[in-house]
Amino acid sequence: MSVVLNEVRRATYFDSIVLMRISRQVTQLTGVEEAGLMLGTPANKDILRDAGILGPDGETAEPGDLILALRAGDAAAGDAAIAEARRLLDAPRESAASSAVNVFRTIRTALRELPDANLALISVPGHFAVAEARKALDFGLHVMIFSDNVPIAEEVAIKREARERGLMVMGPDCGTAIIGGVPLCFANVVPRGDIGVIGASGTGIQEVTCLIARAGGGISQAIGTGGRDLKAEVGAITALMAIDALDADPGTRHIVLISKPPEASVARLVLDRVARSAKPFTICFLGASDLALPGNARAAATLRAAADLSLGRAASHAAAPLVRAEHGKLVRGLFAGGTFCSEAQILFARAGLPVASNVPVPGAHALAGAHDSHIMVDLGDDEFTRGRPHPMIEPAIRERPIAAALADPAVGVILLDVVLGYGAHPDPAGHLAGVLGIRNGGPLVIASVTGTDGDPQPRDTQVQKLVEAGVIVADSNAEAAEMAVMAVGKSER
Amino acid sequence: MTLHVRAPVDRSTLVVPILRAGVVAMELCKVPGHAEVAAVFERSFYLRAGDLFVCVGEPAIGNGPLTLIAQTRAAEIGLRPGQPAVISASGIAIGAVMLIYDRYEPWQPPRWRQTPCPSLLAQARDAVVLRAATEAPVEGFGRAVADSYEPPTAFARMARKRLARLQSWLVDTIEERRAPAASPPDPVRNLVGLGPGLTPSGDDVLIGALALLDALAERHAHASLAHALRQTPAGLTSPLSHCFLRTAAAGHVGEHLHAAVASLVSGDADGAVAAVRNIGHSSGWDMMAGAVTALTASIRVSKGA
Repeated sequence: MSVVLNEVRRATYFDSIVLMRISRQVTQLTGVEEAGLMLGTPANKDILRDAGILGPDGETAEPGDLILALRAGDAAAGDAAIAEARRLLDAPRESAASSAVNVFRTIRTALRELPDANLALISVPGHFAVAEARKALDFGLHVMIFSDNVPIAEEVAIKREARERGLMVMGPDCGTAIIGGVPLCFANVVPRGDIGVIGASGTGIQEVTCLIARAGGGISQAIGTGGRDLKAEVGAITALMAIDALDADPGTRHIVLISKPPEASVARLVLDRVARSAKPFTICFLGASDLALPGNARAAATLRAAADLSLGRAASHAAAPLVRAEHGKLVRGLFAGGTFCSEAQILFARAGLPVASNVPVPGAHALAGAHDSHIMVDLGDDEFTRGRPHPMIEPAIRERPIAAALADPAVGVILLDVVLGYGAHPDPAGHLAGVLGIRNGGPLVIASVTGTDGDPQPRDTQVQKLVEAGVIVADSNAEAAEMAVMAVGKSER
Repeated sequence: MTLHVRAPVDRSTLVVPILRAGVVAMELCKVPGHAEVAAVFERSFYLRAGDLFVCVGEPAIGNGPLTLIAQTRAAEIGLRPGQPAVISASGIAIGAVMLIYDRYEPWQPPRWRQTPCPSLLAQARDAVVLRAATEAPVEGFGRAVADSYEPPTAFARMARKRLARLQSWLVDTIEERRAPAASPPDPVRNLVGLGPGLTPSGDDVLIGALALLDALAERHAHASLAHALRQTPAGLTSPLSHCFLRTAAAGHVGEHLHAAVASLVSGDADGAVAAVRNIGHSSGWDMMAGAVTALTASIRVSKGA
């Protein structure tokens, strides 16, 4: 015979997602015919009463109380369900009661809760990442591997296995993606739209998607491949699958591909696939020259140009202000984003200016022995981040180099990037403003801010903080670099 | 006489600066007195002082009229519900945690943008409704705005009917056929306290409708709905949700809802959906259901005119 049982928790507040999750879990318990977990408002008590699951205890509930009400097939099942419900309600806050994120120990249990999921995000030490990715593939899931330090041979093996199953592996070391409108890892809040982005560079994807968003466009999908996907050993397995996916996606009108210049054999492979598509492509192989592109593709020399070409118009409209360095004549670029560091080097080299870097692009010099060169430092490189958080997460890494540049009489311009979005520091501009302090003279400080007003750190307020700190804020990293070129005496524009 | 309570600060005190404060939350800071921790979540916690609830949370939760933004993660500072808090001129002391507000920035939402022509509004509404049919949580009112959605439960069927009644009442109110009533009209009253969630879904619907009417400058309808909510007895919903309703009736809504409605009334459906996703689990979509209902009422009236 059915029994109705109620549990009332006085003046108890839980996150909505926790309430709904526990409600679902209790409903699915063996022997439970119906269950509800709601605040004891008069309207909700009416619902529970109409459902025949409000008992005398529940009737006493006040609007701020929580009612757990259930009907079970028999007393034993009811008692067991109430006991389980109590356990769920009493579970430690960090694991259940207050978390907005469900925590699962295994992919299998996660899939029980989310049976429609088709993507697993793996973020474990690199040594274990491929094993976890393989488990996800076994469940028929696409995989995004955030972890780095995965040997390239393992990357090749797991990508081939996935391809045979018709599944995609983004990564390893894939830090950015926007799938189905959901930003994953380091990504920004951008509107949905008809431009698909495929990138081997996380900050490259962020810059292009944000420029598109700020110009009124939107993103269908942004697929990260991992930094090594277009190397000859890997052979662009993920990039090619991503092109297939976006080519077949009716929601994608235009496809942008972002990478360092791949080796010739891989470039040919990719561009042959591009040629077979009916859709227009923008190819941004940063630093590449003389690309033989098919008729449906256009080359973008910078990330900003990639955004412009995908939109069919200029993403940024305001003309960059002309500034002149009065202090010194050298530029010191201190970047959190490796791709931004590369892009700046490329623009300086194209302007005929000597440039050196800890991660030099073709045409730039290594730092050792560099004299009278403009210097671009990637502070996210391993030498700065081994055992420490990446500067996008913890910008303190930049404090000493900025102080050194401010004190160097040869430095006329300090060039910076500020990257916003999920995963990034909650207030990078505020931190930077504090580091720069109140300056009277000294080098110009030029910065770009990658993000949108919808980000957890809204771009407009971040820009305002920088402007108030005397920073010249450019619309894009490319524009910031061009402003720096002009400030020290040369212009490419 | 103003009582100034000196909050103790010693070496073991965790000092947490308040970065931004919403317009109603600021009032709590200005009046020395006592409060208590009402709830603790992962990213935020609630303080209660009488019938006023103030949310203290990390920047990612977004600004709001009842929100104090602090650079801290609520789950990691050891607070528990029921803990007393002392409000002083310099900060709020809760056990070993001291929230200081000597340099916070006041927050209020920007002005509403100018709205586009009715046909664009209708397009944006249709696009949001299309997304709601599949993307809104199955709980709550989010999917009930979509005719294509077949309500699978008794609650979902009821949600659709109640939205229809609210819409009908709003049409009459926008046409100024109704003067503010002494007691809340049934289409409003029947939504208060209704549904799942920390803030019942029906309350969120009403807040979304208020925001939309404000954005469209439907002043009579906004005033009528706000008046109805002010007349609503406190016992119809939870004290926390009643506080949100009162605040919305006074014209104050949170940053994410403001962004969602601003996007909707400027024709940007994608922006509206992106913004509602930032609001709780189902609350954002419930609010959007209210906004869409009010927008539909406004469009119907303008077409009739």
